[in-house]
Amino acid sequence: MKWGMVIDLEKCTGCQACTTACAMENTNLPGEAWQDVLFYHEGEYPTGQLKWLPRPCMHCEDPSCVHVCPTRATYKDPEDGLVLIDWDKCIGCKYCMLACPYGVRFFTDEPARVSPDIREAYPDEEKEWSPPYEMPEHKQSARTGVGVHRKGVVSKCTFCAHKIREAPEGVSDLDPDDPELVEYVPACVRTCAPTARYFGDLDNPESKVNQLIADKRGVRLLDHTGNRPQVYYLTGEGGAIPAFDDKQS
Amino acid sequence: MSIRKVSVNRRRFLQASAGTGAVGASLGGIATLTRESGAQAQDTPAETPETKIVKNVCHQCPARCGIDVYVTNGRVHSIYGDLGNPIANGKLCPKGHFGTYILYDPDRFPGPMRRTNPDKGRDQDPGFEQISWDEALDIVAERLNDLRARGESHRFAHFYGRGWGASCAGLYGAFGQLYGTPNSAIGHSSICSDGSKMAKQATDGNYSYSAYDYRNTNYILNFGAGFLEAFRPYNYLMQIWGHIRTKSPKTRVTTVDVRLTTTGAAGDRNVIVRPGSDAAFALAVAHVMLTEGLWDREFAGDFEDGRNRFAAGEEVDPETFEENWVSGLPEWWNAVVKDATPEWASEVTGVRADTITEVAREFGTTRPAMALFERGPTAHTNGTYAGMAIHALNALSGSMFAEGGLMYQMGPAYGPPPAEADDYMDEHASEMQDRHPRIDMAGTERWPLVANMMQEVALNHLADDPYKLDTVMFYLTNPVFTAPDPTPWEDMLRETFVIDTSPFPGETAVFADLILPDHTYLERLQDTPTYPFEGWPMTALRTPAVEPVHDTKVFGDILIEIGKRIDGPMGDYYREIDSTENLLRHLAEGFRDEPGDNGVNDFESWKEKGVWYRKPYLWKQRRGRFYEWDGEGYNREMTEDEVAETLFKTPSGKFEVKSQLLEQHADYIERELDVPPERAGFPQYIPPRHTGGEGDLHLVTPKTACHAEGRGANLPHAIAVMQPTVGGNERTFVEIHPDTARARGIENNGRAVMRSDVGEVECVVRYYPPARPDTLVLPMEHGHWAQGRWAKERLSGHTGYVTANVSDPLSGLACYYTGKVTIEPA
Repeated sequence: MKWGMVIDLEKCTGCQACTTACAMENTNLPGEAWQDVLFYHEGEYPTGQLKWLPRPCMHCEDPSCVHVCPTRATYKDPEDGLVLIDWDKCIGCKYCMLACPYGVRFFTDEPARVSPDIREAYPDEEKEWSPPYEMPEHKQSARTGVGVHRKGVVSKCTFCAHKIREAPEGVSDLDPDDPELVEYVPACVRTCAPTARYFGDLDNPESKVNQLIADKRGVRLLDHTGNRPQVYYLTGEGGAIPAFDDKQS
Repeated sequence: MSIRKVSVNRRRFLQASAGTGAVGASLGGIATLTRESGAQAQDTPAETPETKIVKNVCHQCPARCGIDVYVTNGRVHSIYGDLGNPIANGKLCPKGHFGTYILYDPDRFPGPMRRTNPDKGRDQDPGFEQISWDEALDIVAERLNDLRARGESHRFAHFYGRGWGASCAGLYGAFGQLYGTPNSAIGHSSICSDGSKMAKQATDGNYSYSAYDYRNTNYILNFGAGFLEAFRPYNYLMQIWGHIRTKSPKTRVTTVDVRLTTTGAAGDRNVIVRPGSDAAFALAVAHVMLTEGLWDREFAGDFEDGRNRFAAGEEVDPETFEENWVSGLPEWWNAVVKDATPEWASEVTGVRADTITEVAREFGTTRPAMALFERGPTAHTNGTYAGMAIHALNALSGSMFAEGGLMYQMGPAYGPPPAEADDYMDEHASEMQDRHPRIDMAGTERWPLVANMMQEVALNHLADDPYKLDTVMFYLTNPVFTAPDPTPWEDMLRETFVIDTSPFPGETAVFADLILPDHTYLERLQDTPTYPFEGWPMTALRTPAVEPVHDTKVFGDILIEIGKRIDGPMGDYYREIDSTENLLRHLAEGFRDEPGDNGVNDFESWKEKGVWYRKPYLWKQRRGRFYEWDGEGYNREMTEDEVAETLFKTPSGKFEVKSQLLEQHADYIERELDVPPERAGFPQYIPPRHTGGEGDLHLVTPKTACHAEGRGANLPHAIAVMQPTVGGNERTFVEIHPDTARARGIENNGRAVMRSDVGEVECVVRYYPPARPDTLVLPMEHGHWAQGRWAKERLSGHTGYVTANVSDPLSGLACYYTGKVTIEPA
């Protein structure tokens, strides 16, 4: 199977609930937006434009980050298509951050983006910090980069591996409206109020995600890089992905 | 990798914060996740701890989204929307996820605190020492009993902001009645959104926000409501957005605002108007609808012979028009609308006339079509009239009580409380009834139409007019920071005995003599009847997810415990009420006769499901006739009297575009707003009276999507995403047109100072070319001086310090968005 995400830009309201749900679920540091929403403006009053682009890790089929990792800490799992980081192997060299065309990776030891440093309020010797609301220990796993971050490593979106990997075998889509499946849905997909996000098996031609990609002509970001993301965008009637420039964020 | 070691650290944390491990075994509303973990690391403990889900209700805006709180080993680790709650539907807005952090906020008070430093001031450390609840409550009771014995009980005042339901703010009425004060309580609604309530009261007779059938509408004409940022219920509005923007036919959305927001950008058309000019735009839409014959004749009425006589600039003979459910339409046309051409409105609003005409034709030719508004148009001196002009479009489109239109909210089927205050009156309580005006003078000749006037309290107190307060108690409101031009509150709090009930430090607490800390919401048992939503009744229940982390008490119980300590029959009344839990158990008895659609029929099932609701809404207007639900459908046609009693609660029993209520106050309106008495009743545009002195730029101070009520400025994760549209991720920025900035020598990202005749604010600007060159936008968020370690002195500064304390004379709503300022480099 191959997990993938579809993001409908026509529905996305730019609210950032994906960002905050992800941050609280995965105990990211403030501003460490594994799941960011990038805003752009163009033009001038009275005809100015405001646009936005939600951006998770693309979990590429051919990920640049995996190619450059000197310790094989970043790996592509052939079983379900996730791109993950083994924090036990990561040496924090940041090659992957340079190689990623989408800018979705974070070095955990960066200076605090919001001061005072929250890590000082909840210090920890082993991990980056000790948030009082961290997920239960049995959900955390250094080998998949899930849980409170380790010091001196790179972190990124895992597609909430700790949730989706517990889903019933063979399920085509993780529908957050289904009480039987809701616990396995990635945080950002689960909370998305306008239902701009869908999550399912790209290897299954019957899946809702494949249906949407087919019906609504899903596109991938920076397709020319050859990374072949497993995240597809639906741009709506006459829509387009806003000019993607990571530096603008 | 020593996870074991980490767990020791966490335990130490819990001990330090006086946390208790176990979730009470008696808690209802708990579902158990029993599935096995399939992806465990090798160092995972052998036994997987049980995770429980407790039903609660979010507290970060008024919306009341039901939440599932995940608790493992007595610790909350995540929050998601409750799939069974009709507002949340399993979803949340960006704020909802911060609840875990609020629970464990390291700046919380550990328990009741008494001030030891007699000197009060911004820079004075209160020198708080922790005391027991008995000591704290006895201090309050002694003070209140003394005041009452001296015959001065009116000098005690309660103030509240976000009241939730019968078990908190609902207790105030009886407290005031029995204790003998007219000031129980002064609500914050006049520094919130009373403009929309007044506009609706004046036209359709309902002093209320509207409920909306968004799901079935095909056109939304939105004036200044942050539909995708802050309008309530925000989470549900976004769910609706996903639906209406992809259904067939796609709902068309036009946004009229003074700035470019995500709401405007996500819709079909964004119209940027001059601040305070919304009424002119709405009137021109009405003008086009009438001249082009696009109004709903079945609802509003028609000319006797069906021939449209509405022509620009020409009066009609009211005798020739047969009104149906709209009262005063030809008179309104003659007095106001006939001259409100798109060309005229273009002059007032700065919007092209053909744009206004296009919007009017779209709105007029699409059904169902609704017009909505909130503070954007109403937080001006002309705000009530602006709201009326916008709301009148709902009369012309026939959307009142129609499918895809607007209605009002029904209340929950609560049973009677354990005791009635009327049975516990003593001589003093009876003597004090109507003896003194409220401290805010609401409902007096000074403010005849308003419900609250919180922003006047400090000034009235300091002027000893009508009197001085002695003791003041605050619940979920912080006017010493949030009121317009709030500094007089510091003087008032300096000379009164101040009780704050916030679990967190804040500006009020700096002046407090006593802190009686409330639970945070994840620790509370508390009812939350819905704000106006879809009309049918609903009330959700907060259930404690964990034992209190600190020595706190839910506000309702604080009030009840104080009541028990008051001498005479008042104490008996509160002993009969006993506790908020007892009160809620009595209220839930009402569900037995009217079980909820989800099976909730008593207190225990209410806790288990987290919400009681009962569809449908009972009334519907179709093609100019009103019907009542008969159990199967909207089949029973209502009489005019029934409609007047239930739906249009105006003197005429109709939607009044010639408001009899305002005509009754024509003298007051002429005195305050220079509106000639013969025009007092009509929705109309009058020029706003901008405040601030000689300022050359408008200042607008909106709330952003991450403005978590009262705490957003101290939530590190919220700070990081506070103002994403212009990159405000560590501080907030003043959005400024580059030409405006450059003309004043202000660089992009540069420090600047905003000034008005009220004061000045240090800020940081960000160039934003879509901004009106004459308008600055700064979110009301930062600049706190006492809200916690992350909030303290964060830029940009507080907008209240340049906002004049001027209010709409009709609604009483503080004119937050009508100020003018100057800006220059710092």
